[in-house]
Amino acid sequence: MKFINLLLKLLPAKPVFAHCDIPCGIYDPQSSQLASQTVLKMVQKLKELQKPQEDKGWMDYKNSMIRMILTKEQHAETCKREILILWTDYFKAEHLEKFPDLHTLVWQTTKLCSDNKRVVDEAKAQELIEAVDKIADIFNQTKK
Amino acid sequence: MNWFPLQRFTVYGNSMLPTLKPGQDVLVWCWFYKLKVGDIVAIKINVKEMIKRVRQMSSDRGAFVQGDNEKESTDSRNFGWINKKDIIGKVIWP
Repeated sequence: MKFINLLLKLLPAKPVFAHCDIPCGIYDPQSSQLASQTVLKMVQKLKELQKPQEDKGWMDYKNSMIRMILTKEQHAETCKREILILWTDYFKAEHLEKFPDLHTLVWQTTKLCSDNKRVVDEAKAQELIEAVDKIADIFNQTKK
Repeated sequence: MNWFPLQRFTVYGNSMLPTLKPGQDVLVWCWFYKLKVGDIVAIKINVKEMIKRVRQMSSDRGAFVQGDNEKESTDSRNFGWINKKDIIGKVIWP
């Protein structure tokens, strides 16, 4: 023991890392779920948007439409990004072994994000929500 | 090869809990050692030195390493198998 103590005193200490790259627990599918729900809400609001009866209402109409389209676009992009973060940084080979459909599910979900940017389609937005929820469900199972 | 067979490292992070705690010193033997599954090793990933446990060995691929605290570890599950040349040495104390 004395010899070990002597060695510890004499040898310079270097850091050796045992940590993960990012502190654990910060991965969460909730942000992608919120984003996918916002996409659906924007699609519904766009469909409900009434054309103005008079000329003076056109500016407000256009303004609302552009804001809704922009929000849909941004949230579809956020959703895609958040799913890809889980895919590249959180999910590991052991998760893929346990959930073999995960690869296809992530691929289809990110494609759905792109589809939802392109179109104003309630069914597509609903499809995205369901796909994101499936990924969230798998995520939650890996945390048990 | 290092000029001296022993190196002292101080552990940072939680991935080797409960075996190694943050702040704890370890001694690593860097010359002629024989590795087996279950050994704790110091490795070099890019420029970063890390400490992990050997879970699998392969003559052509090197070692597959993991942290003892599997839920809080970045290891071979992320960066794959470790080349023999990237293993600094074997933890001999504690």
